[in-house]
Amino acid sequence: MPSKDRYQNRIELLQGTLDMLILKTLQWGPQHGYGIIQAIRTSSSDVLQVETGSLYPALHRLERQGWLASEWKQTESNQRAKFYRLTPAGKRQLASEHQRWTMLSAAIAGIMSPEKEQP
Amino acid sequence: MNRRRRNRELNEELEAHLRMAERDRLDRGQSPDDAHFNALAEFGNKGLVQEVTRDMWGWTSVERLLQDFRYGARMLRRNPGFTIVVVLTLALGIGANTAIYSVIHAALAPLGIPNPDRVVMVWTENAKRNWHQFPASVPDYRDWQASGVFSSLAGVSDGGFNLRLADRTEHIDGMSVTPEFFPALAVAPRLGRAFRPEEGQAGHDQVAILSDSLWRSHFAANPNLVGSTIMIDGVPRTVVGVLPPSFPKFEKEEIYTPLVFPGDVAADRGSRFFQVIGHLRDGISFAAAERRVAGIERRLSTQYKEDTGHTVALQPVEDSIVEDARTLLALLFGAVGFVLLIACANIANLLLARGTSRQKEMALRAALGAGRWRLCRQLLSESVLLALIGGALAIVPSLLAMRFVTSFQIDELRNANLIALNSSVLVFNLALSFATGILFGLVPAWQAWKTNVGDTMREASRSYTGGTQHRLRGVFVIAEIALTMVLLVGAGLMLRSFAHLRSANPGYDTGNVLTMRVSLSDRQYAAPEKQAAFFERVTREAGALPGVATASAIQDLPGSDNLHGSGLLRPDRPDPRPEDIRIELTDCVMAGYFDAMRIPLVRGRYLNETDTKSSTPVVVIDEYTAHLNWPNEDPVGKQLKFGTKKAPRQIVGIVGNVDQGILVKLLKGQIGQAYIPGSQLPSPYMTLVLRTRLDPSSLIPAMRSLVRGIDIDQPVFQVKSLEGIRTTNRAPQQLATSLLGSFAGVALLLAAIGIYGVIAYAVGQRTREFGVRISLGANRLDVLRLVVRQGIVLTSIGMVAGLAGAFALTRLMSSLLYGVAATDPLTFAGGAMLLAAASLTACLIPALRATRVDPVVALRCE
Repeated sequence: MPSKDRYQNRIELLQGTLDMLILKTLQWGPQHGYGIIQAIRTSSSDVLQVETGSLYPALHRLERQGWLASEWKQTESNQRAKFYRLTPAGKRQLASEHQRWTMLSAAIAGIMSPEKEQP
Repeated sequence: MNRRRRNRELNEELEAHLRMAERDRLDRGQSPDDAHFNALAEFGNKGLVQEVTRDMWGWTSVERLLQDFRYGARMLRRNPGFTIVVVLTLALGIGANTAIYSVIHAALAPLGIPNPDRVVMVWTENAKRNWHQFPASVPDYRDWQASGVFSSLAGVSDGGFNLRLADRTEHIDGMSVTPEFFPALAVAPRLGRAFRPEEGQAGHDQVAILSDSLWRSHFAANPNLVGSTIMIDGVPRTVVGVLPPSFPKFEKEEIYTPLVFPGDVAADRGSRFFQVIGHLRDGISFAAAERRVAGIERRLSTQYKEDTGHTVALQPVEDSIVEDARTLLALLFGAVGFVLLIACANIANLLLARGTSRQKEMALRAALGAGRWRLCRQLLSESVLLALIGGALAIVPSLLAMRFVTSFQIDELRNANLIALNSSVLVFNLALSFATGILFGLVPAWQAWKTNVGDTMREASRSYTGGTQHRLRGVFVIAEIALTMVLLVGAGLMLRSFAHLRSANPGYDTGNVLTMRVSLSDRQYAAPEKQAAFFERVTREAGALPGVATASAIQDLPGSDNLHGSGLLRPDRPDPRPEDIRIELTDCVMAGYFDAMRIPLVRGRYLNETDTKSSTPVVVIDEYTAHLNWPNEDPVGKQLKFGTKKAPRQIVGIVGNVDQGILVKLLKGQIGQAYIPGSQLPSPYMTLVLRTRLDPSSLIPAMRSLVRGIDIDQPVFQVKSLEGIRTTNRAPQQLATSLLGSFAGVALLLAAIGIYGVIAYAVGQRTREFGVRISLGANRLDVLRLVVRQGIVLTSIGMVAGLAGAFALTRLMSSLLYGVAATDPLTFAGGAMLLAAASLTACLIPALRATRVDPVVALRCE
């Protein structure tokens, strides 16, 4: 099962970040899986392409953890789709992940470009 | 959520994704084919996405359990023979336990009173005079009442009442209680009121309270009964209350009247005639109450010579009600518990044997990634499933057993009507099934836990099995044999005592004798002459009925629980010290009693019509009394008296001993019996004894109308054949014997199967060895000896352990035994021989198979 392993490794790599990105995307309102991929791609200017094999496991896991809730609704184009939305716990989780991300990126930035820090 | 539905939803979710991606592409102007292909390409492998997403769901523990059970069910279906044997064994074992539990649950049902632990019986004890739970006298009762230990202290005396109904008079069991009785139990009547204090005084006591069941059965649950008048013992009484249905019954009482202490005994400390029950005052613990009452009694016992040597014991009222049943119930529960343990050992053995053959399967599953814990859980689920199926099937035998037990109608087992398959019995059945499944399931689970994948896979090709497992199977067989030994001895003891009870020559002829009781109302027959005249007339007229050979009466039949004892004294000798006085049972009889019962005359003469009130006071004694008190003398013509102040009586005859029943045997072994003419010492109640030439029951209607014709207010009751009475009296023993006997039979069968299994397995394992031995010239007898020796070793160890266990346990059942010691060597030896024979037979079958091993085949088959 090499291809399954490949996906799992990808999830592993992306895990923390992907979760945060999903939560962040849903902050603007309920969205279905396809919509989330499109939103992330658009807002990252096509840099981040989330694969379905990473997205759906993440969505189902986040739902099981209680950070997301889902319901079946109609899209604008009258298509039945499963929409995910943030739960109150998910909002709290997003806040704390955002904070951690800010600290982490500042720290990494400090390491990667130390000269900027020096007066 | 249902897994199948989740799968469908996931599929739908991904399909929607694909359609949206395709539509976007169409909107961007791609051709339908391109859009479809590109969307699929971007999406990736849908099956794979589904799979990795499903991984996120995880298994709920319930799903995992269901999975285990489903797999277990599949394994059980694949081995129907094994499954059927185990399930049937369990159904019997669990069924027996369920039935006995329902009996215990009913018998030990809590009393319908608010604070049962605060309600106590107050008994007088005297170790020196061998008094246990003796009744109280009025002055003692008053002194205890004044102690301040009890918030209410009541006197209780049981008896029966003749209740006049529209068309007949019926004898109803009842109780006379002082007005403190209902406050002591803290239960108020559901209708009307309890007795008022002044209703305990003579002249104000024309009131009665009825039980709920009597109110329903005899007064159609008429709510206006309270306040109306009913005729009890020929005297009008006002019904002031009806009790709630849950009101506890000490015996079978249905009518309660005030207990009024007669003036002549109210001041006599020697007149002990009623029981005392009290409610402890708030704030006094049971132990403190006991100490304080003991202190009072110490003072009384030094102050009054009638109370010398007395002590007082408090007993929680629940204990006093269930104590009769306790030994019987404990015995039965212990026995069924043993049967179930034996069944478990047998099943564990079967599972061990099967586990050996499943080792490869387990190793394979372990190699494929199943954790140890998972494997154990899987095996435990299988066992629990087996046990649950067995437990469900157990309902059938348990219902049969419940019906069997209730059919005995034993007084000791209270609330027989509650013996049923109710919710708490079902919960017990379920819990027991589950626990049983875990218990025997531990063995294969432990086996799986130990399984070492590498070793097993390597060894799987050879038919090697570890020695520990075989040793373990041996241990199980030893345990089975030991438990069976205990059961066999227990059943043997019961069987022997029952045989004693049954075959013991009662000293009279039980065939074709009809008996019935008549209890004259005190007020209508206060004069002893009237009592005597009544019974003389009844027996004279009954003797003239067609089909009646002889009609007579005795106060209480032999074997009755109603015992009247008096100290036997010889007027020609100085009175011995009080504790050395021999107790003699005394009963008054009507003329012709010995004829009617066919009690043989040894010397002198029977009592007859010439013994009247005005003639010399006479007595007839039994042989036992004669030998005990007049050794080497002829007592006929000598004198004796019952009580120091009583008039002497002349002994006119000696008759054969009669069986005095279990109660006397258990209390004293044997007591002498004396018979006094009813004309000289009348009794207000008698048991009529009619020797008939016809079927005794055919005379019942004639006797009823005969007595009714003499006085409609005096009903006959407890109409039974003498044979029937003897059967009823030994019903608890009979029940214990038949149940214990069948349990022991099942245990013996299971143990034999168990030892057969182990030996047969060992023979199977050693086939090649036997082949080698035989081909090298070993005698077939040697092989036989080799195999049987193994069985004998296991059996002997088990039997020794079992005999030791039986020795320790059977003494607990000695109160149910009769004519046989709890450690009766004959029973122990008999049980051991039976068990040895059974297990030897079980060994011989595989042993004979071993001798027939064909060396050529055995050596080639590997």
